[in-house]
Parts: sequence; C-alpha cells; structure tokens
Amino acid sequence: MKRGALVILLLVVSADTWAAHHDPPIRKPAHPFTITLDPIVTSDSATCVLPFTKAGNLILVRAKADTTFGYFVIDTGTPNLVLNITYFRRYPTSNPTESGGVTGAVTNAAQTRVDSLYLGSIKYFHVDADMIDLGHIENTKGVKILGLLGMKLFERFEVIIDYEHNLLYLHLIKGKEGETYASPLLSDTSAYRVVPIELEEDKVLVHTVLKGKKLRFVVDSGAETSVLDSRLPNKVLQSVQVTRITHLAGTGSQTVDALYGNLKDMQIGEQTIASLPVLITNLQSMCDAYNNCIDGMLSFDFLTLHKIGFNFVSRKMYIWK
Amino acid sequence: MEMRNGISRKALRAAAVLLVSLLAALPGRSWSQEMTLLNGRMYITLNTHIGERQLDSFVVHYDLGDLDLREVLFKHKYTKLRKMGWRVEAEAHNVIQLSKQIMASGNMIDPGKRMGITEEHPTSADLFPAQNDNLVYGFNKFVRKFPFLVRDSMVTFFMRGHRGARQVLLAGSFTNWQNAALSMSPTDSGWTMVVKLGPGKYWYKFIIDGGWTPDPDNELSEDDLRGNINSVYYKTNTVFTLNRFLNARQVYLAGSFNQWDTRNLGMARTIDGWRAELYLSEGTHRYKYFVDGVAYQDPNNSQQLPDGHRGYNSVLRIGKSHLFKLKGYGSAQEVILSGTFDDWHEHELPMKRTETGWALSYTLGPGNYEYKFIVDGKWIVDPENPYFVRHEDASTDNSYLIIGPNHTFHLPGFDSAQRVYLAGDFNNWTPDALQMKRIGNEWVFPIHLSVGKHLYKYIVDGKWIIDPSNPLWEGNEYNTQNSVIWTEH
Repeated sequence: MKRGALVILLLVVSADTWAAHHDPPIRKPAHPFTITLDPIVTSDSATCVLPFTKAGNLILVRAKADTTFGYFVIDTGTPNLVLNITYFRRYPTSNPTESGGVTGAVTNAAQTRVDSLYLGSIKYFHVDADMIDLGHIENTKGVKILGLLGMKLFERFEVIIDYEHNLLYLHLIKGKEGETYASPLLSDTSAYRVVPIELEEDKVLVHTVLKGKKLRFVVDSGAETSVLDSRLPNKVLQSVQVTRITHLAGTGSQTVDALYGNLKDMQIGEQTIASLPVLITNLQSMCDAYNNCIDGMLSFDFLTLHKIGFNFVSRKMYIWK
Repeated sequence: MEMRNGISRKALRAAAVLLVSLLAALPGRSWSQEMTLLNGRMYITLNTHIGERQLDSFVVHYDLGDLDLREVLFKHKYTKLRKMGWRVEAEAHNVIQLSKQIMASGNMIDPGKRMGITEEHPTSADLFPAQNDNLVYGFNKFVRKFPFLVRDSMVTFFMRGHRGARQVLLAGSFTNWQNAALSMSPTDSGWTMVVKLGPGKYWYKFIIDGGWTPDPDNELSEDDLRGNINSVYYKTNTVFTLNRFLNARQVYLAGSFNQWDTRNLGMARTIDGWRAELYLSEGTHRYKYFVDGVAYQDPNNSQQLPDGHRGYNSVLRIGKSHLFKLKGYGSAQEVILSGTFDDWHEHELPMKRTETGWALSYTLGPGNYEYKFIVDGKWIVDPENPYFVRHEDASTDNSYLIIGPNHTFHLPGFDSAQRVYLAGDFNNWTPDALQMKRIGNEWVFPIHLSVGKHLYKYIVDGKWIIDPSNPLWEGNEYNTQNSVIWTEH
C-alpha cells in the first residue's frame, strides 16, 4: 500500500526534515519533533453527533476551515480535504502536482494547507488541501459549498450516517480501542448487515459479485448515481437493462455519450440488490490514477437507506436493513 | 486500456452481423426495439418495419432525439449518424443494428467533475411526473391490503399473491407505461417494487406474465378514454390525525378541497384515534372533522379562519404565500381581502394594519385569481396592481393576480406598435388589462393556463388580431377568429 505517498505531510513544530514514510502509518502524533503523516486530530468527546442536511444525495455538514464557516460535503470518493477556490483564493498555494496517479491528489489542483479544521467537537490541525472550483456543484444544488471532506479525515473513525434523523455519528477510535470498538447503535446486530471494505489509496473499496464475477466498487458518498465501467466483460454488461442515453462532459468542451440502466441482481455481502440504477461510462481515467482499475462507484442511494455506517479502522461497512 | 476480453474488432463485427442475421431469419418473431451494451459499445437494434409512432416512442424513451432515426430508417441516410460516431453494424431483412463506442468521460479524479458527472440527471419518473394540474385533492382507497409503504419519496408498490407467476412488471404513468416498465421482486406474500415519486396523481397497472391487470386491491380506477381501465395512486403529502374520539362510530374529514362533503372522506381508525392521508394541492385549505355528524376543529392546529357561522375552520397552508398590500386608508376601521380564492367571502380574511397601510399574507397555488379589498364595507380594486378583469354585469373591475405562470405568449415583430395587450378566456376577454412587454424583437406576457383548451387574441394599438404564428384558430360570434391553444398535462 502506498499510503505514505498519499497522506498529508505535517510538521508539528519546526522540523524541516522530510522523510519517507513506510507502513504502518504513525497513528499517534504529538511528540514535538516527530514527523507525522496524518493530520493531527483531537476530539473533546469520544463521540461527536452532527446534524447534516442533504442537497440531492449529497451529505452536507457545517465545518470551519480556519476562519471560514459553512457547508462541506462528506465525500468518501475524494482522498483529501478539498477547498472551493472561490472562498480560499487568498491562501498561498504550491505548484499543481501532476502526480495524481500516485498520490491520489487532484491532478493539476493547487495545493494549500489549513491550520485548523473544526468539525463539531473534532479538531484537525495542519491539514493539506487541494483547491478546485466547485462552482458547478453550487450552481446545481443552490447551496454555498466551501469544500469537500475527503476520506483521509475519517480514516481513524467509525462513521454512522442516520438518514432517518439526519444525524452523523463520528467516533474517533483511539489506539487502545483498536479494532474492537463498536457504537451502541450497533448493539442490535440483527438490524444491519456487515460488509467488509478495504481502504486503498484513501478510497473505500467494496467487493461485489455479479453472475459469479467479482467486481470492485468505490463506495462514494460524493457520487449521486452509482457508476459502472462500460469496459467490463459482456457477462456483466448483459446484466444491465439500458434505460436511456445521456451526454456527459468529456475532455474540454466536448461531450461523450453514456447510458443509464438498471444493474440486475448484484450481491453485496449477503445482500442481493435486485435492481441498481447505474450510469454506464468509460472509467479509463480512474485507472490512470490508481494503476489498477475500479469497476464502478457505489453511491449511497443504492438502498432505501435507514442508516449506513463504516468502521474505517476495522474495515467494515454496516448497512441497516 | 484495451478492451478487457481482448476479442478482435473484426470478430466482434462478424458476431454482430451473425446475430442480426439470426434475428432476422427467425420465423414468426417480430423483434422489438432495444438498446443494449456489448464490448464497451452501445447498440441500438431496430425492426426496419417499425411504425413511425412506435419509433417515436422508442426515441422518446431512450432520449435519442438527436440521432434522427427517422432519416436512418425510412430514408436510409446515414451521414449525420456516422458523423456522430455511430456505425451501422448490420442491416438484414428486418433488422438494423447501430453501435457506438462509449468513450472516456472527463477526468473523474477531479472531485468537482466526478460529482458533476454523477449528479442526478432527470429519470424517466422526472420526465413523466405527477399530473396535478386542476387537481385539488386526492386519497387512496385500498382494500384487503395496507396502503403502499412510503418512505421519503420512495413508494413500495405491492401486488398481493400471484406467487407462481414467472414475471410481474409494474407499468404506469411514471414509467411511460410499458416503455420503462419495472420488474417487481417476489416476496412471501406477493410482488414489490420501489419507485421514487413526487406528490400527486399517477396511474398504474401490473403485467403478470404478459397479461395487463389493474390492481385488484385498489378501489380507485379510471378509464383513460382509450379503452383501458387503470388503477389510480395518489402519492400523498398531508397526514391528518385526530387523537381522540376513540368511541366514535365514524369520523369524516371535510373541507374546502372536497366542497365540504361530509360523507366522502372517511378517516381510518388507529390505536390513538383517527387518521387520513391526502394529496393536497398548493394553496390555503379549510377543514373540519365530522365526528358522528358533529363538526370539530382540529385540536392540534392553531391556524384558523372564521367559518361565517360564528365559528372557525382549521386551516392548512401548502406552498408559498403572497403578500397582499394596500397603501394608505389609515383611518379605515377594517379592510377585508376577498377573491376567487375564498369564494368572495366578505368576513373571512381581515387584513392587518401596517405602518403604511394594510397587509395580509395568503398562500396560493399556481393559477390566475381575481380579488378586491373591502374598505369599511366599500369594494375597491388594488390601486397598485395594473392587471384587472372586467365583467359586464359588474360595475367595477376586479384586480387580477397571476401565480406561477406556466406559459408565455410571444408575439414577434410589430416593432412600431405603441401598446400590445393579450386577452382571452383566461381574463374574460378584457382588452386593455394584460399589457405585453417588449423584450428583444417580440412582445411577451407570462400567464398561468390550466389544462385544456384556451382562446386568445392580441390587441395591437387597439386592433384585435389572432396570433400570426399559431395555425390553430376558430370562428367566433363576431365573424372573426380566435387563436386556439391547448394545454396538456
């Protein structure tokens, strides 16, 4: 795993020595002269409960980046903190990186850093961020969006999204809790199903099965529709009932054709989804960045959701029945 | 990246030709049109003997309007299609197959672009929404089964029984009927399918192993005037609960929405009392509960308006409110708002005194309304509103209010005209009331048109003319013409 190349480099006090990182990542920062590779994260209380609001299928929470306060989108499909450049133009930036394929950072995005990010009682310090233009999303949703909260910010958390009450439960899993921690919300084990997940390049991956073929999907809270790669074998494509054509933004001003359809009988863990609405497009660009391809993206609307949860430490996804 | 299965292009093409030939060669099989996916390409398969109507329905369903398939199929013109990257895979006796490679979409690593690509585009349900124009209220009447389970906007359609069926489809106005009929899933007691619907009225049927049937457990059905009986489903947006009168024999809900029919809308008994779920249109609705024939206000609703019988009706407001204002009249004792929206009641809507005059906020759904103010018993028009309606039998005009316009009349040209007005059945043909605005090189006026037929004309500097860009007109009693416009669902 190339985690070291992905995570945010952080100098706690004044160390100006940079060093390569090797697994396992250092999870406990705070020695004055150590170099740590995750943002420093602290929480006043073990569990933080935040109200969220929805714009389409996107989950919006209020957070404060330095002095700027407003809505951020929870985006498990993005590795980093992303800032909407409209509101952070004054921030100093480093040159855009071209190494998106290795770091998972946004190709050509300017890089910056926020000193502090407050999300409820959780505080992050010295968080590296990509700066991009999110104007299009603001325009379609009609909501001011300051940025996206990417996966790295949640990798040490149990996260439960309660759609019935519009509440987000975040629990910072401390070292001694290890992989054994489970929220009281998980005490009734008959209420939900557990599906193993993987974290790879700061992406949440889940394995699904369709007609005996294994598929790797990114679980992406920032995607409003699930997506299937058009280059998959015919055995998979034949399980799609095409519903209509659509036109997507391609390179530059060009548009490319894609299809909408319903993917039949895909299995996630022990559960079979009879009909999953999907956008079918060519996901070539996802391969370029991660050196291996993903077969699709699973948006959070893939079930009529009550609650969905993740333990990113023990690598589990909880889907309420 | 290369295609994953590594089959050569030539072989694929040969396979496609073979497939089409086989399809065409099969006797007695009329091939339906379809769109499929194979080898990273999208395929359109069409029967060359398809009728124009069927082709149109195929094009609308798959959103293929820009391909001009009529040209391809009926005139064999392929140039435009090829320019768009499509190729003709095979053309046999009865079948033509077209295909196009699905190219890479934009940089999906950029979260902004990825979110843009995956954001919700209209679905077929969005394209065929609830049909609520002219609909004030509606409620479901299921027997032998519970109403469909509803969570947020997701409705679980349920068909009881038929466990032995091989396939059950749900077809309705929300699926463009058979075109996007949904495959239901078997359960222990029947078949289910979850559908996203906005509030309003829908029609549906089940297709059980190819046979169409209305929902036998739904008492609401309608004839579509084309020989079909369809079940009716209302996706409701309002719940009425009355948590008392447990010993009552029957409780009815009645209000302005059902013309105060006290025997039409029976409430269902619950553990705590009584309950009814309704679809209600936008606007202000008055209501009462009738418990074994005795009228009661809603004890849980403090919103009320005088009922004209020294009592009050409970009031429910849905949608946006409009602020009616009257400047001045500071010495008046009382100002009442009255209009078509409250059946011209003279005591129901007292306005409130403000620093500059009088005001009242009132919720109205889309439509055109007439109104007046009653100042200490004297009826006056709204002096601030330029729009009005004249009635021959009335001594004064009524003010005219347009909420939620859904149609804009355009009259191009007439550059040198000084004043252009719109008049029609929607404003009682008042000639000098709806003055059109000059925008660019045309005169425009937005208005709300209810579903159905409307007649109209323009008045250009005092001269009545029909709409020169509308070929539809009919004669009138003055031996001239009126332009005709139909507003459909």
